[in-house]
Amino acid sequence: MPININGAAPAGLVVPKPTNPAEHKLVGKNYMTPDLMAKVQGKSKYAEDYRADGMLFVKLLLSPVPHGRVRSVDTSAALAMPGVKAIITVDDLPPPASSLTDAGVVIAANMKANRGLTNEPMYQGEPILAVCAESELIAAEAIEKIKIDIERLPFVVDPFVSLRPGGPNARVEGNCWVSPPPPAAVAGAPAGRGGRGAPPPQAEVKEIKWTDADYAEYESGKMPMGAPNTPEWKYGNLDAAFKNAALVLDETFMSPNTSHQCLETRSAMAYWQNGKVFVHTGTQSTAQTVPAIARWLGMVDEKKQPDVSKIVFISEYTGGGFGSKITGDISLIIPCILSKKLGGVPVMMRLTREEEHFMGKARPAVTGRVKVAFNKEGKILGMDMYGVCDSGCYDNQGDAQAAGRIASLLYQPEAMRLRTMTVITNTPPRVSQSAPGGMQAVAIIEPLLAKAARKLGVDPVEIHRINAPEGKAKFGPGAGPKQVRGYVTSAYLKQALDKGAEEFRWAERKAKSPQVQGNKVRGIGVSVSGYSGGSVGFDGLLLIKTDGTVCFQSGIGNLGTESMSDVHRVAAEMLGVPWDKCEICWGNTNKNLPWTCVSGGSQTTHAMTRSAYAVALDAKQKLKELAAKKFGGTPEGYDVANERVFRKGGGSGMTLAQAAQYAIEVGGVYDGHEPPADVNKMTKTSIAAMAGQGLVAAARDKAPHDGQTYSFAATFAEVEVDKETGKFHITDFLCIADVGTVIHPKALGGQVLGRSTLGIGHAIGQKWVYDQHYGLPLAKRFYNNKPPTILDVPAGSGNMNWAALDIPDPETPVGARGIGEPPVGGGCAAVLNAMSDALGDEIFRRAPLSADLILMSLETGKAAGEHLTAHV
Amino acid sequence: MGIIEFAKSPWGQDVPIHIFFYLIYVAVIAGLTFFIGHVIWLRYFAKKEEFADSTPPGEVAKLPAEIKRHSLPARLFHWVQAGAMLTLLFSAFLPKVGVRFEWLQWHWIAGVVLTVSIVFHIIHASFFMNFWSIWPDKIDIEDAGRRWKRSQGEKAPAPRRFGKYPMENKMYHLAIVLAGLSVTLTGFFMLFRIRTPLFTRNSYMFGDMTNGLMYTLHGLAGVGLIALIMIHVYFALRPEKLKISRSMVYGTIKREHYAEHHDPKRWVAEAE
Amino acid sequence: MAVIRDVMPAFELFQPATIDDALNLLDKHGSEAWVMAGGLDSFDWLKDRIKRPSVVVDLSQIKELTGVKEWNGGIEIGAMTTLTDVVRNPIVKEKFSILATGAESAASPQIRNQGTIGGNVSQDTRCWYYRSGWKCYRAGGNTCFADTPTAINREHAIMGASRCVAVNPSDSAPALIALDAKMVIRNKSGERVVDAENYFIGPALDIRRMTVLLPGDLLVAIRIPSTWAGAKFYFEKVRDRPVWDFPLVNIAAAMKVNGDNIESIRMAVNGVAAHPVRLTAVEASLVGKPRNAASADAAGQLAIQGAEPLRHNGYKVPLLRNLVKRAIRGVEEAKWA
Ligand SMILES: Cc1cc2nc3c(=O)[nH]c(=O)nc-3n(C[C@H](O)[C@H](O)[C@H](O)COP(=O)(O)OP(=O)(O)OC[C@H]3O[C@@H](n4cnc5c(N)ncnc54)[C@H](O)[C@@H]3O)c2cc1C
Repeated sequence: MPININGAAPAGLVVPKPTNPAEHKLVGKNYMTPDLMAKVQGKSKYAEDYRADGMLFVKLLLSPVPHGRVRSVDTSAALAMPGVKAIITVDDLPPPASSLTDAGVVIAANMKANRGLTNEPMYQGEPILAVCAESELIAAEAIEKIKIDIERLPFVVDPFVSLRPGGPNARVEGNCWVSPPPPAAVAGAPAGRGGRGAPPPQAEVKEIKWTDADYAEYESGKMPMGAPNTPEWKYGNLDAAFKNAALVLDETFMSPNTSHQCLETRSAMAYWQNGKVFVHTGTQSTAQTVPAIARWLGMVDEKKQPDVSKIVFISEYTGGGFGSKITGDISLIIPCILSKKLGGVPVMMRLTREEEHFMGKARPAVTGRVKVAFNKEGKILGMDMYGVCDSGCYDNQGDAQAAGRIASLLYQPEAMRLRTMTVITNTPPRVSQSAPGGMQAVAIIEPLLAKAARKLGVDPVEIHRINAPEGKAKFGPGAGPKQVRGYVTSAYLKQALDKGAEEFRWAERKAKSPQVQGNKVRGIGVSVSGYSGGSVGFDGLLLIKTDGTVCFQSGIGNLGTESMSDVHRVAAEMLGVPWDKCEICWGNTNKNLPWTCVSGGSQTTHAMTRSAYAVALDAKQKLKELAAKKFGGTPEGYDVANERVFRKGGGSGMTLAQAAQYAIEVGGVYDGHEPPADVNKMTKTSIAAMAGQGLVAAARDKAPHDGQTYSFAATFAEVEVDKETGKFHITDFLCIADVGTVIHPKALGGQVLGRSTLGIGHAIGQKWVYDQHYGLPLAKRFYNNKPPTILDVPAGSGNMNWAALDIPDPETPVGARGIGEPPVGGGCAAVLNAMSDALGDEIFRRAPLSADLILMSLETGKAAGEHLTAHV
Repeated sequence: MGIIEFAKSPWGQDVPIHIFFYLIYVAVIAGLTFFIGHVIWLRYFAKKEEFADSTPPGEVAKLPAEIKRHSLPARLFHWVQAGAMLTLLFSAFLPKVGVRFEWLQWHWIAGVVLTVSIVFHIIHASFFMNFWSIWPDKIDIEDAGRRWKRSQGEKAPAPRRFGKYPMENKMYHLAIVLAGLSVTLTGFFMLFRIRTPLFTRNSYMFGDMTNGLMYTLHGLAGVGLIALIMIHVYFALRPEKLKISRSMVYGTIKREHYAEHHDPKRWVAEAE
Repeated sequence: MAVIRDVMPAFELFQPATIDDALNLLDKHGSEAWVMAGGLDSFDWLKDRIKRPSVVVDLSQIKELTGVKEWNGGIEIGAMTTLTDVVRNPIVKEKFSILATGAESAASPQIRNQGTIGGNVSQDTRCWYYRSGWKCYRAGGNTCFADTPTAINREHAIMGASRCVAVNPSDSAPALIALDAKMVIRNKSGERVVDAENYFIGPALDIRRMTVLLPGDLLVAIRIPSTWAGAKFYFEKVRDRPVWDFPLVNIAAAMKVNGDNIESIRMAVNGVAAHPVRLTAVEASLVGKPRNAASADAAGQLAIQGAEPLRHNGYKVPLLRNLVKRAIRGVEEAKWA
């Protein structure tokens, strides 16, 4: 297997030996994924494609107010309608309960969490009750017959309005979450949201108001910086940095709130049979959605652990998640509860696009004010960052905190301070979206870096290079008594910048830039970006059947990234099985799936290639042991290749089919009757169900690992602006990914460019619009909130390109890291930087940029728009 | 059907938005019904008007031939107001019955003219005219009772002669004051919601409910004025009233009419 | 009573096969009936349950309403001709290419395959307050929510506003006005022909409607006279995204030049008012003038006189000015190395 070609392995850790990539048959090669034909032929079944006799349908009554309390509901007329079967409110839902994870960590019940339905709606569009009827039409008509009396409560949709002295609070108790200090980071805990650590303790809602003095520079567009709601962190000597600086810039930048815009809305279908609930919905993890459903439905065992034995979860296809469907969505309990109430009949809840706008989650906007000290070469000596995060109405979002960590990683300031404020607003719930915090960090800092390059006369690529992380680069604040800073497994961002600069012909273009012709001007921009790229410790599970085929059990959600299939090619390669003899079992927990990571935070490729590696080693070992049992000698005397296990140097051996048959005869650990001790409970249940069907291999990933896994991207863009209309478009785009070993080039390319496009959307148009007087959203449909289209990127002209460094990560056996998040920030910021290259520094202070802002900036000679007003 | 049309506010609450516009027809029909009723009443039921007292003919001859009833400013006010009112009514209601034209500018300008003229009238009437002459007094009310009893065939003393304005005139004025103040006051605030050179637009001076009630009141007073104006025109044109109506043009009435209908103590005659 | 959106309500659907049948239905059901062409505007209103007709008259089966035919040296386009068919029509392309360009800039290929030219010129405004079901003036209420101190009105009107500040979103409309098209309207009592520029109306005239059409009326065809066939045309649309997006501002101009001089010109813009605006003063100022940068600048300035921007749409003023300039002097295409 390809491993560890460059870089040193962590001391004391044994890293498997490298193999020659040139010999790979599967890894690094394109192939047809098992779900492809169904998708292109329209045969793939998403949750809402299922139909059954007697199926009932759900419609939701959504809150008309941004904040209120239901005083009374009269459903009598609705219930009296023929065809209306049931109506439920939050009172029919199980109350939030604490639960215990497998690792023994208590997840305390969050009484202020989103419960699916509510009597105190926190945003317009929040579901208050659900009507179940024979058809959606009847359900809708029933809703129109419901009398509902809602007391209006104070509301606010703009963080800076809420923070003003006397500003309104989004929640009755206050306007921000304040957490008790987090416990010390747990070594080896999975990285997520840009850092490591156990789940923070339950935050409480408090009121924080800033002073008029804090707002002194608000009108001029400088972000106020009052008291933070999270303890600040810092490292290095910031004062010295600013004292010794050749250039200090103090800039404010506002990033947008953006809906996840999954093409598949979070529709869900459920029915009960023989005491089990069958749930269909989209997810970013088939495996981990099951305990989430158990928790939401209040199904816990005597140890308070989620009891998954009564849940069958089906999710073969998911139309996008981007962080919003990490373990499905809590709204799925609505059809579950209704079905239960109605004796188990299938209940379908299809969400419309408008409902998806409300319930589909969004990235929180982070407004950042950053003061940066540069030396004359452009090296960042110090960075003082303040991020204000619009956290929506539920859950404290960590984006501003993550933004600080990512900034410290990507730009390696010698000294840094981070302060953050997370404000609750009466807007839809936020949740992580591709590179949560990472995207905002890059969007906030990159324009400043581009400006610094211009001011210092340093080439923009060079200023990125000089500040780029390298090798086991440190990042974030120190932890523990010695303030030890964490570090990454590897970073080859400089190589990515170099490769990109060459392929983009940066120097040649830079010499001419900005280029003017008539009304048109072209500019170029470069950006770095990066994000967590993997976790560790999950299970691999496979079955070698008696016909010699290998069945890979995949608990990965199939959300279009193809990792649910890709990662298993590693195991197939190691076992020497041709791909057409391999099957992927996915999308249904009845099919015996192993414990698997969620596909969030770009974990999957890293985590699950490691699990694939582990299970392939286990399968190999078992095959060798079986051969030794059958033919004599020691397992070490055997080898596995070409669908056979055979004595090294030739002689006796058997096919995988024979070995599978023999495994059944031998039983015990070989055919799944005795599971390994260290795999997850869920994996054990699956192994038990598969027992006796062939050779069952299962293993937990325990491969050595030292730093935290991060992936990187260097992104280049050229834009052309029409100065008479403000219209602009991207003429050239290139992203170089530093993601370790390439597993599946086409899928990787899809991710690199797809996620770049997601980032581009943030730069060129995607946004929310709110009427602040009523606190209500106006841009609820695609044509209003404007996600990018294929014509927004230069794909058609062949000028939308990507490449990967393909340098293996030294701390993972397969060398592969994740890719989902890293390109997003770069897609956004490379375009922003190209715009300022074309038009100058005083053009924008917020994203997205649109023709109107550009034209007004050009007309007035100063950055146009209201710099700090939310949702315009 | 109803009087007030309700709608959902952006917050989903039921708020009034304005009157139902079929009330225009109701007002017109009410006006017409009044004419017909009045004509029938006059023709078949009304008794000849009798007054308790009269001015001896000798005294009458001493009076000026033309007795001043409306000063020039008062007349000007009336006609300006009449013009504004008719413009307002036509510009408000013609579009509602399907006649398309750019009505709003006529409407708001006429509204401003009306408002200014009313302000003028209030000042003028308060300081330069006999302010109380238009409001019903004790005698008016007693006499109204007497007239009613007599019309019912009951015994009652004959009513006395009028002051400057007969009772129905006073009642009419009262109704016009109520309706007029309602439309102008609500109209004034509505001026903040449209494009005029007068104020900076701000539709959020009041909440949805207050706005809705304002529109409703404006509408109710507006349709009320349709009926009131119809009745006014009807009376002004009735043959027996023309003697008074002409005073709105020439400023005077004939002394014979004065002597017959008006009590010189309550309204001292003056020459033009 | 609670509100729910995004679920198509029940209504009675008629699919007449002839214009006469359609007119009879419309006459019978009056304001209870909704005319449906391609449905791209209609379905929005219906499924959001904001407009609640009890009867929908779907014109899709009426063959007489589709197709482009020659007429008096010009053409007559059936109201139900899809935008795609208008764009692809060879005569349109050859003689009236401005209409093809305008229609092709609308929406997306899928929408143009379904949306009709009659629907495109008759479509309602896209003001997001109105479309959200807020009871504004246009919806029969008493407030324009887009014209308040806090409103977000980036896409709203800079001219011709009267209480309502919505704009007309059609891309074909200004092209039709520039071509001096005639709209053929029929109802139970007969046919009338209205100039394209008078087909569209503003809120001052009728705040509830975008066109002169009244209940019972059917737009049956659009006639384009030969007057401007083969003239010098200019069409440009500025929008946020290159596809699937309504205009922020668009402009259509037809010009005849004699040597260097402008002999005659017609010019219309959309996205600036509740109706497409024919720039008659600009046209008048240009006749007989040389077609150069100076005339273009003067025309641009003239075009924006009286413009009254709102809080977020100030950019439309320079945009309109620049588009008018470009319509006259053209745009220099960049030739990059
Ligand atoms: C997402 C989206 C983006 C769009 N972008 C653009 C754009 O950029 N530019 C643009 O110009 N358009 C755009 N459109 C509008 C689209 O191109 C259609 O033209 C428009 O929706 C109406 O056409 P239709 O045939 O679907 O008509 P319908 O929706 O069926 O009808 C529209 C209206 O016209 C009336 N009507 C239709 N035909 C007649 C007739 N013959 N007689 C009387 N009344 C009639 C209907 O009653 C209805 O009120 C967009 C639409 C959508 C949904």
